[in-house]
Amino acid sequence: MPIAELSKVMMAGLILFATAANAQIAQQNTADAALVDRVKEAVIKELRESGAIDRAVDAGIGRYVERQRAEAAERERREADARSATLRPVSGGRDHIRGNPAAPVTLVEYSDFECPFCKSFHSTVKKVVDESNGQVKWVYRHFPLDELHPVKARKEAAAAECAAELGGNDAFWKFADRFFELTPSNNRTDIDTVVPQIAREIGLDKAQFAACLASGRHDRRVEEDRQNAVATGGRGTPWSIIVSKSGKMYPLSGAQPYAAVKQIVELALQEK
Amino acid sequence: MTRHLKNLRAAFAQVFTYPSYIALASVLAILAFLLAVWFPNLGLIGGVFVSNAPLAAKLNVALSLLGGIGTNFSLFSAGYTIAIAVLFGITTAMIVYLLKQRQVAAAKQTIAIGSGGVASGVLGIGCAACGSLILAVLPSLGAAGALAALPLNGEEFGLLSVALLFISLLLISKNIAEPIACPPARTSNAQQP
Repeated sequence: MPIAELSKVMMAGLILFATAANAQIAQQNTADAALVDRVKEAVIKELRESGAIDRAVDAGIGRYVERQRAEAAERERREADARSATLRPVSGGRDHIRGNPAAPVTLVEYSDFECPFCKSFHSTVKKVVDESNGQVKWVYRHFPLDELHPVKARKEAAAAECAAELGGNDAFWKFADRFFELTPSNNRTDIDTVVPQIAREIGLDKAQFAACLASGRHDRRVEEDRQNAVATGGRGTPWSIIVSKSGKMYPLSGAQPYAAVKQIVELALQEK
Repeated sequence: MTRHLKNLRAAFAQVFTYPSYIALASVLAILAFLLAVWFPNLGLIGGVFVSNAPLAAKLNVALSLLGGIGTNFSLFSAGYTIAIAVLFGITTAMIVYLLKQRQVAAAKQTIAIGSGGVASGVLGIGCAACGSLILAVLPSLGAAGALAALPLNGEEFGLLSVALLFISLLLISKNIAEPIACPPARTSNAQQP
């Protein structure tokens, strides 16, 4: 056979072989794809029927909820840490303290003289401290709410500071007790009449008291108290923080009843 | 107005013949009330409950704080707080009834208005005279002074909430009492039972 013919026959054979091989591969691929689909369907059916998918979804949701809870607890812890870092330490020289200064539990109250709820909470805390047998001391700080009680609340806070300046710690508490007793709250106090009247009743020098009030020298202190209230998380009044001997803090918002305050004080007393 | 009251009566008769809806409304109203009273002290309650204090002490703290409805709310704010809780329970139970009747479109409108009522209620909750959530929200919006301009010092939000929840209750009653569906045709050929 001539070489030209032989090469033609070989070329034709090669083309035929390649075509047949391709056809076989395509057939094989189709069969493989069908097999893969069948396996997939069987696996999905098995997963569905065995409840494995449901369990996996449940586990995923459970992990998500757990993560959220952990984040919330962490947030709470960070807030508590921030609060303890921001609460100005109680100082006998600066703060107004009622009760035993060495008491293991401290109730720091941020209060507004024009707030009706502070008025009712004042007697609640007084009762708790009086009945505590020296176990609770009460620290009064100012938190005038300018949004609700403009001008008056700040001026009254400054007046209480003037009472403290002229008559000491006792005069401060006498002023606060009498003020809450006499005034109607909600910015309805006739400040020019009531404040001098109380100053006179508790035995302060009228001229010195008026001069102190006019000087505005306690305005900065009142503002510092207000800023500290906000920094510790106060959003309204009365805002209180009950601190145990170990330093654990119980933030209490609003004029809560005597039973609630007493319960929290009991918890704080149990904290060593 | 008479038509609204008639719808309200008819819807109540339709929904609350089922004890399960009475139970749902009651549970939701109680939960809303608890949330409202505990709202200012949720952080304290959470802190006490994760502490190692005895369970009885933890429960005592939570229960004693409920007394705040008498000491930390004015008579007015306590009244609308209770009204919000009751309206929230009833409206939600009726929305659930409507959804079960597959009247999703009708329920959506009520849910929208009811949600506005609940959101407004949250702002009005608590010691409105001496600050609540509203005192935290308004300054961040640059509107701290707006509170002093409100004659009721923010208690308006509580009233708005009661109004919105009541409107959504009327709407849902209408949807239940007068469902949006074609009435069956009454023809002379209609088969009598």
